[in-house]
Amino acid sequence: MSSVNLDFAEELKEYSEDTALECFNCGTCAAICPLVHDNFPRRMIRYVQIGARDKILENSDELWRCLHCGLCTHTCPREADPGEIILGLKRFVVANFRRS
Amino acid sequence: MFNPRDIIETLANNVKQTASPFGIPKFMVNKWYKDINLPKEGEYLLLTGLMYQFTPFIEKSTQYLEKYEGTKMAGLLKYAKYVPSYISGIGLAMMTSRKEKKNAGQALKNIASLLKKSKVDFAYRPDLDNYSGILLYDMGDQKGFVAHAKKVAKKLQDAGIKKIITVDPHTAYALKELFPKYTGISFEVKSYFELLDLESKDCGIEVTLHDPCFFGRYLELSDVPRKVLTNLGISVSKIRNQGEFTSCCGGPAESISPSLSNEIMEKRAKELKEPGKPIIAYCPICLGNLKKSGANVEDLSTLLVRHI
Repeated sequence: MSSVNLDFAEELKEYSEDTALECFNCGTCAAICPLVHDNFPRRMIRYVQIGARDKILENSDELWRCLHCGLCTHTCPREADPGEIILGLKRFVVANFRRS
Repeated sequence: MFNPRDIIETLANNVKQTASPFGIPKFMVNKWYKDINLPKEGEYLLLTGLMYQFTPFIEKSTQYLEKYEGTKMAGLLKYAKYVPSYISGIGLAMMTSRKEKKNAGQALKNIASLLKKSKVDFAYRPDLDNYSGILLYDMGDQKGFVAHAKKVAKKLQDAGIKKIITVDPHTAYALKELFPKYTGISFEVKSYFELLDLESKDCGIEVTLHDPCFFGRYLELSDVPRKVLTNLGISVSKIRNQGEFTSCCGGPAESISPSLSNEIMEKRAKELKEPGKPIIAYCPICLGNLKKSGANVEDLSTLLVRHI
């Protein structure tokens, strides 16, 4: 069972701009991403929106499949900056494993 | 796929101990300028960021990562952080062929000669030419990146540097966008091809240009090399994904997952091969990665030097 952390958005502010709530889950990012893999990065952004902190940590390895190519950010119709959200999540996970 | 934590901690330790992601001391990496005469003073500082010089070491380390990805040996990478960076770095440098190391500097010699030909007033100072730390930024080691970037920026600032010429998209992005944001120190940054003023007789050839993501999208500079080529009478084939919509070469994934990197690289190489023209890259990472696909690819500087 996964839990929802309502303070997660606040915690993430240390690592990136708070743009995840701009996303309306249209899926353009997942469609254009060269990885074509498990709804990436859309699924991760959804996890951020609902505060699924544990889910992000459980699936954190897939963040490093991101090529940082910027296609998702360039084409996002809501300017939610998916590429930067993924980079912010990498920073969050790195800080988390260094604390543990 | 390797455990990202093992890769990140190895790279972070190497940068911390040796200022190089591979742990190789700078005197073993940066040799391209030694047999040419370059000015020590000038309006601009040519800063290579060592990315072209790193390419033979990237290729060699990727060969090992490819061999062990998905095997039990991959788990041993977590012990790499206990090996002093200089020892593993010198080992990697010794395993890399002398010929490859020498070839890696040729693009930089070409760039210096193109700048001279364009009458650009530039200097080269090996003591100020350092790695930008960009890989740490891309990997999410923000603290490591900022600490390293501050040292590099401070050294440049203390030397009175105001204007910088970069040669690759990753260093260009770091110096132009990230250094002002995270170190508080700004420079006027130009990519070398923005300063070229070259002419020749109509070459009458056509090439396919692979735009790196950071030049095509992040820095929006992909029209500049096209203008340089047009001035030399070299036309550029139209392909589906170019300019701001260019496709990644797969290079950024090669440390975490060489198999993923190869998958992305094969897709891109197929697109680039379609017009049947020679392929031109203008990023050392893209160049190295596309070469692995067996594509007929060379660096922009090599093409330009041949036609002036």
